Amino acid sequence: MEDNKDLFSFVEFDETRSEHIAAPRYSYWKSVGRTFFKDKFAVGVAIFMILLVAFALIQPMFSGYSPTIAPNINTPELKFLQPSSEHIFGTDNVGNEVFDAVWAGARNSIIISFVCTAINMLIGIPIGALWGFSKKMDKWMIEVYNVISNIPFLLLAMILSYVLGAGFKPLIFTMTCTEWVFVAYFIRTQVMIIRDREYNMASKCLGTSTWTMIMKNILPYLISVIMTYISRMIPSLISYEVFLSYMGLGLGTNHASLGRAISQYTSYMNGYPHLFWIPVSILAIISISLYIVGQKLADAADPRTHR
Amino acid sequence: MKKGYLGKRLLRSVLSVIIIMLIVFIMVYSLVPRDNIFFEDSTYRKLGAKPDDKTNYVYSTWERLGYLDFVNINDYAGTLYEQGSDALAKAIEPDSKETQQFREEYAAQGYTVATYTASGRAYAYKDIPLATRILKWLKDLIQIDTPWAVKDPNNPDLPRYLKFGTTPTGGPALIGSGSVHKYLLYLDSRFPWLHQNIITLNMGKSYPSYQGIEVLTVLFQPQGTEVKRPVTFETGLEQESAIIFGTLTYKETPDRMDRQKFVDNYANFSTQKDQPSMVGTSFIMGIFAMLLAYFLGLPIGVLMAKHKDKLVDKLGMVYIIFIIAVPSLAYIYLFRYIGTNLFNLPSIFTTYGANDVRSWILPTISLALPSIAGLMLWARRYVVDQMNSDYVKFAKSKGLNQSEIFSRHIFKNAIIPIAHGIPASLAGCISGAIITEAIYSVGGMGKMLPRAINQYNNTMIVALAFMFSSISVLAVIAGDIIITKIDPRISLSEKEGRN
Repeated sequence: MEDNKDLFSFVEFDETRSEHIAAPRYSYWKSVGRTFFKDKFAVGVAIFMILLVAFALIQPMFSGYSPTIAPNINTPELKFLQPSSEHIFGTDNVGNEVFDAVWAGARNSIIISFVCTAINMLIGIPIGALWGFSKKMDKWMIEVYNVISNIPFLLLAMILSYVLGAGFKPLIFTMTCTEWVFVAYFIRTQVMIIRDREYNMASKCLGTSTWTMIMKNILPYLISVIMTYISRMIPSLISYEVFLSYMGLGLGTNHASLGRAISQYTSYMNGYPHLFWIPVSILAIISISLYIVGQKLADAADPRTHR
Repeated sequence: MKKGYLGKRLLRSVLSVIIIMLIVFIMVYSLVPRDNIFFEDSTYRKLGAKPDDKTNYVYSTWERLGYLDFVNINDYAGTLYEQGSDALAKAIEPDSKETQQFREEYAAQGYTVATYTASGRAYAYKDIPLATRILKWLKDLIQIDTPWAVKDPNNPDLPRYLKFGTTPTGGPALIGSGSVHKYLLYLDSRFPWLHQNIITLNMGKSYPSYQGIEVLTVLFQPQGTEVKRPVTFETGLEQESAIIFGTLTYKETPDRMDRQKFVDNYANFSTQKDQPSMVGTSFIMGIFAMLLAYFLGLPIGVLMAKHKDKLVDKLGMVYIIFIIAVPSLAYIYLFRYIGTNLFNLPSIFTTYGANDVRSWILPTISLALPSIAGLMLWARRYVVDQMNSDYVKFAKSKGLNQSEIFSRHIFKNAIIPIAHGIPASLAGCISGAIITEAIYSVGGMGKMLPRAINQYNNTMIVALAFMFSSISVLAVIAGDIIITKIDPRISLSEKEGRN
């Protein structure tokens, strides 16, 4: 035992180092990134999703597809061709390439669903947070919710299409003007659940303002929930656009969209099933990859998963 | 729950429904361009060459749809002189004294007076103000039937009484005379057995589709072909008929056929048919889809949570992602394709009709698919959250076994947010499923709103909006009450000393 004495050396007392806190440095976003990139599957899907979205954004620039242009409309031998090496996805009822139509549609559908999601979240989250926080506001906001959520949506969509016409901006307005209230209602319920926790009571006693409490105490807690919601909202808005096009209230005839393609090709379901299933499959692939990335991001955004 | 909370909340909900109605009225009558009505009207197009008839047609159609009040000089002069007289013919001409009177009188009442372009005769119209329209709608909404309800100048001797008796089929009934309905309260063999006609809702008449029929009758009357059976009428006449005696109502001008069957003026009736009504069809389908969703979705969701990250969980997630990502249009078609080819089920509802179970299977399951996915997702989420909570760890360390913890503790807590949604999904059954019903050609409610909007059936739109909104507002309240009943910790009202 005594032989080991020379293995140790005496350390001087250091006042600055004794003040140092031993916990590792924690950066929220770095931890989110680390958790996300640790999951190989998630990274793979994310790369695939980025490539897919980039392709959908770039391909239509080269194809120049527009539903109003149909150069082959008078050549019957170019209509309803099955997928082949020459026509990757085959051709449709007016002799256009389904490949071009689908990607042009995907581009518009993606843009619309991203923009609408952003708008709905930007309006819905702050209002929902305030609404959940104040019981006085809740009393009346619940009736506002009752009113807005009960206006027949189809009627509203139809009236907006009369008043604003068809196109990008009107469709985005239609898909956001009542939708935000559902986001707000969802956030309200989430805020209500954690509003009365002890740490918030303490914070309130210390005189923190409502706004600071919402921004610093409550919303960070909800990031994973909000991410889950967003990852469901993007695909559901694409489906929504399909539904509106099915009812004849979508983007109008001048713009390609997946919804329009699907509802238009539905009538060829029996004779030329590829016309229906190709846009549906592309839509499903885009939606699923967006959803998985969103879910994985939501998991990574939850501080409880950080180690 | 604090005393009086429910009452106040109901009051606020009534206010909400009225505001919804106000918005719907504004949308229907002010924002939809009223000229659109004539886009697909063949009568309107045929009148192209006759401008006066066209004007007349346009304004009288608008009057019927409830946009405005419309009078022309013919109506006005018709009240002053006898039909076909020379005075009448003279009065309607542009330069007559009556035309002058007509112009002054109606201009004074706030009407816009105009002249027909070809003949130069006068007509006048006035938009019905929104407030008037809503008040009138609300006033006419609830109808109470009394022995003094019928006012028929051609039948001054109509007896007015109430008495107990039986219907011709033998059920006990409260019989009225002078009331609109003959049998105010009666028992018979149809669901729900006890029927009443004392308080009825009146939401106006449908136009232009289902022309002239009460909106609620359109939605609630059975569809399909009549089911005839031998019946004995009050006069002793024996005949094959599909009559439902309980639905007899007053008819001002009974014809010869009616006289053979009935001893009094109560000769209007509805008939038994072999297919359920629109509301009934949607409701049956909705209820079964809902039961399927809760009985499949909940246990599977719980199972997924129990075996988190195992095979069951992953398979379940694949299904949920599929339903979320693929538009319903597509997966319903896919499901129908599988059902018709593998199980030989009918691809559309009308092949076998409502009386064959096979017709219901595919549409009901198609309708349940998204709800199953939703319930799986949320049940899994809530159970997983509960499983990670401290009280479960505590229970485990105290030695409770897994199934005990599950049934006694986790399930009770996890079910709360799910129970909140039950009344809303029940209410959703009534509004029908637009896409599912369209794909399978089911005669339900789903098509009614889109069609009513396309056909400018304004009374129908208003009635549907009222039904759906009041039911769903009530469902929100019912959901809140249910969660306070199963979880006493939740309080809905403001507490003292908190904001």
